[in-house]
Amino acid sequence: MRILGIETSCDETAAAVVDGEGKILSNVVLSQLDEHRLYGGVVPEIAARSHLDHIDRLVAEAMREAGLGFSELDAVAATGGPGLIGGVIVGVMTGKAIALVHDKPFLAVNHLEGHALTARLTHQLAFPYLLLLVSGGHCQLLLVEGVGRYRRLGATIDDAAGEAFDKVAKMLDLGYPGGPAVERAARDGRPQAFTLPRPMKGRPGCDFSFSGLKTAVRQALDGLGREATPQDKADIALAFQEAVADSIANRSRNAMRMARDLRPETCKLVVAGGVAANSFLRARLGETAAKNGFELIAPPLNLCTDNAAMIAWAGLERFRLGQRDSLDFAPRPRWPLDPEAAKLRGAGVKA
Amino acid sequence: MSSPVFLAFDTATSACSVAILRDGEVLAHCFAEMARGQSEALPPMIAEALAQSGLSFREITALAVTVGPGAFTGLRIGLATARAMALAADLPAIGVSTTEAIAEGVGQDERAGRNLLVAVESKREDVFAQAFGTDLRPLGEIVSVRPEDAFALAPAPALLCGDAAARLPEAPEGWLRATGSGLPDALHVARVAARHWAEGRTRPAEPLYLRAPDVNLPKGAA
Repeated sequence: MRILGIETSCDETAAAVVDGEGKILSNVVLSQLDEHRLYGGVVPEIAARSHLDHIDRLVAEAMREAGLGFSELDAVAATGGPGLIGGVIVGVMTGKAIALVHDKPFLAVNHLEGHALTARLTHQLAFPYLLLLVSGGHCQLLLVEGVGRYRRLGATIDDAAGEAFDKVAKMLDLGYPGGPAVERAARDGRPQAFTLPRPMKGRPGCDFSFSGLKTAVRQALDGLGREATPQDKADIALAFQEAVADSIANRSRNAMRMARDLRPETCKLVVAGGVAANSFLRARLGETAAKNGFELIAPPLNLCTDNAAMIAWAGLERFRLGQRDSLDFAPRPRWPLDPEAAKLRGAGVKA
Repeated sequence: MSSPVFLAFDTATSACSVAILRDGEVLAHCFAEMARGQSEALPPMIAEALAQSGLSFREITALAVTVGPGAFTGLRIGLATARAMALAADLPAIGVSTTEAIAEGVGQDERAGRNLLVAVESKREDVFAQAFGTDLRPLGEIVSVRPEDAFALAPAPALLCGDAAARLPEAPEGWLRATGSGLPDALHVARVAARHWAEGRTRPAEPLYLRAPDVNLPKGAA
């Protein structure tokens, strides 16, 4: 079984082919980072134009690398949302067109489901498991009970974690994207030079909040009473990174307990999303997981950030269960994995 | 060699349409006005048109699609579909401007002896406009102009059409307004594509946005 996956929901244009054994036959990703850098964030119209300019070429490349013709595919999967709708539409139309020409089933995949099921592609994980999804657009903790069966235990009530990294990097003038920039600067930071609050720490449940932390960084900068030196910036970057990691670790600890209450056999914590690239956060999560009798599973970085292999895989999982989507599928800017969960504000609003 | 068969579609403005044309003969034609929802409607409509014509992709010679100007999302719906189909079916994809497609749709009786001005909705103050001569050859490039300045693009006697025609002020002496919706139709996209194909001067299926993305530069950026 072989499935083509297409991903265009944010600022990566991607295509991949995955087979039924979980072998990634090809996985091409084109980052639009340079096109958005000047603006300090993703500009939706620029992203949509760029997806259209490149997706057909990337699909051709993915097929060539996989050594397959379109007629040899079993199905075509494309991200159907949530995300920047202009880009999602480009990917969905590309997927539908290929499916139509070769009379193959089409699957519209929830981008978050792609992240959620990646650990089954990389680690053959069995259900249930706990998922921490931390990226530029999302920050949530989900109990993954099966394909299409998700319980959201908590999510951000304002900014996504990656968004907070971007904003703090901007304040410190460290460049874009903020995650790697902050981590790089923090290497020269002195512990305890600054103390920042741990948002939500100690509160029940496992919701996140990062907007107060952002304000605290602003106040720390203003409190200097002078232009920040490179050392100040490194110190603040380190303090910020520690505060984020502490907060996420604390929220994850609560989520592990909540998951155990719901499904006592839960023993894996999977981390996905671009922020999972932060090695400081990974280390902190590893400790917290171990303390609570969980194993931390972190898929390789290129499968943690946005990619099409995860879309192909999620499509394949759904296809195996007999699921199909119609060619009149409507791309969805908002698409929560757990439709039962309460509506959220901030970055959580879409998911 | 058998006659070329064109599969054309349009989602550039407030409609969605598909047509299949062979030697000027319409083998299939579907058209629906819709302000949104083209991403849902287009693929089933293409399947429907193919079923009407009794043809498969193997019997299509070339695809044709409107490249703009028009609604950015609408353009991308048609273009992403055309480009992916071109790749998957190994077919050429021909681009046709929205203005040419609309001009093609104006009745010969109506435009007889008149130049033609096509005005396309831009969703901003300006309109996108292009002038054509009595033989439907363009008199100039497609431009973004203030509605009151658009008449200057075509010498009278002239006829005004397009989905933004109603946004132009009262027409000067020697002008008439065309009847009809002024929306592009895949049938006319196919006719223009067939003509360009025969003349060996096709345009690639690349978007014609005519306006840079709206972005705000952060403070201090160059």
